Amino acid sequence: MKQQHILLFFISLLFSGVVTSQEVQDTVKVKESYGIRIGVDLNRPINSFIESNTKGLEIVSDFRISRNYYAAIELGFLDKNTNEDYINFSTKGSYFKAGFNYNAYENWKGMNNEIYVGLRYGISMFDQTLNSYTPNIEGTYFIPVGVEPNTKFNDLTAQWVEFVFGMKVETLKNLFLGTSISFNKLISSKEPENFKNLHVPGFNRVFLNNTGVGFNYTISYLIPILKKNK
Amino acid sequence: MKKYFALIIVSFLAFLSCEKDDICIDGTTPKLIIRFYNNDTETDLKSAQLDSVWVEGKSKIEDFTGVSTDSIYIPLDLNADITTFILEKNQVKDTLKFSYTKKDVFVSRSCGYKTVFENFQLDSNTINWIKNINITESTNSTIEDETAAHITIFH
Repeated sequence: MKQQHILLFFISLLFSGVVTSQEVQDTVKVKESYGIRIGVDLNRPINSFIESNTKGLEIVSDFRISRNYYAAIELGFLDKNTNEDYINFSTKGSYFKAGFNYNAYENWKGMNNEIYVGLRYGISMFDQTLNSYTPNIEGTYFIPVGVEPNTKFNDLTAQWVEFVFGMKVETLKNLFLGTSISFNKLISSKEPENFKNLHVPGFNRVFLNNTGVGFNYTISYLIPILKKNK
Repeated sequence: MKKYFALIIVSFLAFLSCEKDDICIDGTTPKLIIRFYNNDTETDLKSAQLDSVWVEGKSKIEDFTGVSTDSIYIPLDLNADITTFILEKNQVKDTLKFSYTKKDVFVSRSCGYKTVFENFQLDSNTINWIKNINITESTNSTIEDETAAHITIFH
């Protein structure tokens, strides 16, 4: 107990030291770099590797427009097979997202990290193929035979908005690792006849009330263009 | 405000993960609902003491073997365009033959497709213990759900 108090005392001393030293540094002018950051999502290639029925790629990019605001875009494609209890379908298409991030993290001198919130508008153009289904009937008196219609629904579109929450950490000079989670809501979609867009590239799985969720792990590189005073 | 972002995210996530579209709760392929009426009054339900009910060439339907009931629901063959039922009461048999056109309709992710029976009609029937058979007006020659009786049998 006594030892713990002594330990706490020293820890508090350490913290007070840090705080005072930072106050001194605040008077020093700090240059911050502005530029284009380009990267790739790691989640999708890993998924493509683990799940043989999924192929996808996403390029991410952002551009710092002011101290705390970044314009952001994402570009990707997906080719995915989904197997449910009574249906099997494939989704193939590409998507584009544009929006901005607001960095809410106050960096110390020389640090370049972000904890951000953001908004995106997303649009996807894709095809759905209904590979097979088994009519659903309760009981086992009649066992339904599976059907393989292989119906392809071309030129489908979907538009949505995303609320993004994430962080980026500069691990090496100008090299960033990032992670984010997004909550998506469909605004409009062109639905196939006698079927539904159950998966949309970029939006991911479409839940019952047209909502979705996405995860990103990114590695990106900052190409500095200019340096500005803080 | 910044402090609450994490909280908002977590509650959003909790809400999303509770969605129930993994369990099929919507209607699947409808069964044929038959109600038994008194042939004398034509408006009163009358229970039938059924020995057994089966589809020609198949086993007896367990739910309706040796029961007294005023309504039964039996599956239509969704691998054919005709289903022939045999209803046995007091060792007297009656045969009902129905024909229809099948159509598969998308329901939801978890339920998949259900089969709807269109152009539903009674092709032929015998009248031993059954005196009369009607397809109800609400059926309108399409069996797409189980909300009301599709067939009325008078005996």
